[in-house]
Amino acid sequence: MLSTMNRRIGLLLFIIASVYLYLSFQLPNYPYAPVDADVIPKGLGILMLILSIALFFSRAIETEAEKAKRAIPKKELLVLLAVFAMIFVYILLFETIGFILMTALFIFFCSWFLGYRNWKTGIIVSILFPLGMYVIFVFALGIALPSGILPI
Amino acid sequence: MDAFQGLLAGFQVALSWEGILFVLIGVVVGTLIGMMPGLGPISAIAIMIPITYGMDPAPALVMMAGVYYGAVFGGSTSSILLNAPGISGTVATSFDGYPMAQQGKAGKALAIAAIASFFGGTVSVIMLMLLAPALASVAISFGPPAYFALMLMGLTAISSLSEGSTIKAMISAVAGIMVVTIGIDPQTGTQRFTFGNVNLLDGFDFLVIALGLFAIAEVCMLIMNRKNRNLSDDQKLGSLKVTRADLKEMSGPMTRQSFVGFMLGVLPGAGATIASFISYIFEKKISKNPEEFGKGSIKGLAAPESSNNAATSGAFVPLLSLGIPGSGTTAVMLGAFLVLGVQPGPLLMSDRPEIFWGIIASMYLGNIFLLVLNLPLIPYLAKILSIPRPLLISLVIMFSLIGVYSISFNTFDLYMLLLFGALGFAMRVFSFPAPPFILAFILGGMMEQAFRQSMTISNGSLSIFVNSPLPLALIIVSLLSLTIPALIKWRSRRLLLKQ
Repeated sequence: MLSTMNRRIGLLLFIIASVYLYLSFQLPNYPYAPVDADVIPKGLGILMLILSIALFFSRAIETEAEKAKRAIPKKELLVLLAVFAMIFVYILLFETIGFILMTALFIFFCSWFLGYRNWKTGIIVSILFPLGMYVIFVFALGIALPSGILPI
Repeated sequence: MDAFQGLLAGFQVALSWEGILFVLIGVVVGTLIGMMPGLGPISAIAIMIPITYGMDPAPALVMMAGVYYGAVFGGSTSSILLNAPGISGTVATSFDGYPMAQQGKAGKALAIAAIASFFGGTVSVIMLMLLAPALASVAISFGPPAYFALMLMGLTAISSLSEGSTIKAMISAVAGIMVVTIGIDPQTGTQRFTFGNVNLLDGFDFLVIALGLFAIAEVCMLIMNRKNRNLSDDQKLGSLKVTRADLKEMSGPMTRQSFVGFMLGVLPGAGATIASFISYIFEKKISKNPEEFGKGSIKGLAAPESSNNAATSGAFVPLLSLGIPGSGTTAVMLGAFLVLGVQPGPLLMSDRPEIFWGIIASMYLGNIFLLVLNLPLIPYLAKILSIPRPLLISLVIMFSLIGVYSISFNTFDLYMLLLFGALGFAMRVFSFPAPPFILAFILGGMMEQAFRQSMTISNGSLSIFVNSPLPLALIIVSLLSLTIPALIKWRSRRLLLKQ
């Protein structure tokens, strides 16, 4: 039943559409509104249900190019997850530690992790980029970025 | 104000020192980002939006337009040098551009691409100047039903014209509108799908979606392909010289395909990518020597290059005169307008002539800048292709994070950026096109509003969409645009089975 990828995705979308539709039926109703806040969501939910069923039963065969696109080696997926984890840590800490420090650390370690071994250029870019951005945003555009623990 | 006066006022904006400076910044940044394989014009525009926050709308939008057509202009460089198109609109450029580069004529190929781009861009600005005001004066009488039907047509057109499965493209579009429904409903004040989370009350900012689905997702693809070819230092560009005979050979395709590109750009759903492919096939079909195509033909290079740049300015016609974007890229452009408090549409020409005409006038200037930048400076600009991928990836991630943070100062939006980045990556991996999603996200709120206004006018009867000719015609076109490709597929499968 779940032989092809399209069927698996179709099923997932069917579940999402059902939840969405259920939630749209929970929306409050007001009399005297020609089109209330729940009309469009209900329509969208039904449309998504139909489309997910259509995808499930569509006989379109995946082309070779499409198959190649989703054939990702596990190792590469781990690399991607690691980068996402680094971004996560960055978001978690940059308001307390500060924009300049965290950005410098991120650029240096992220590019090192992805295989950039020229550490001299790495350090120069990791210092100049956050400083430049900080100056542009804070002083030229008037947008405050967190200064954090640096005494600026 | 008539068109001539308007254009004069526009040139006053474009030729002020501010105008010249920001056109220049826009086209340079656009060219550089457009050159990077994997980063498209949507990312380029979205990354630049935060810079415009404190700016006057006119120079800011002149710059953003420059980023867009600059990216299309610049995308050809990596198509020719690396056979790795900078943007999808320049894939067809690599068919003949890369073979030319392999024959040691990279410089000539770049020069031909630059001239064809300049020609296509300029021809199409002239047509934009003539068509946009005319369309705006017609559109001023459109009511909500016509607007709703127009937006519906935009969405069905982009779904049926997307690469791959139409069902998947439609799912993308519906998902885009679903995401818009999250937040407080602006008309009744009802909270929809917020789960009591304060951060969701205002819904998602479009920059979170644009940067997530495009910049972050494109970075993920770059991470997958980080070991791909870079420009090697010893690659010789060769002479940039284009002979009189070359110019004569390219003049035919250039002229024809500028018009084709412009028209396809105006139509909803098509845009630079489709225009460049159609122009390439068009020229190959009518050529006396079609076997030369794909082996470094000058015509095969000039055709898609004039067409994709013409389509770029063409796409500004519905954006400026109707306020309705027809593609993913112009949807993000509309976002850039709205951030600055400018509502494009039929009233823009009379209410904010300096913006309407300023953008058009600045495109003449921008195309000249691009030609000058690209012809003599191309060997230096191409150096950006040798930026190591890991460094580029880290920098683009940072640009995206800063961009989102500077609109809300809220880390919740940053986590959402990450979430939409993962979604965008999954969509690319499983072949769901992303442009219908962003277009639907931008149009969704406007569509719901137009739908409700229509229903209020008609006292809740759907007949308002079929009782007057314009909405009826547009809805029929929308339905046809979805059913005809499906019918063609079905018939061709039956024919195959019979054989």
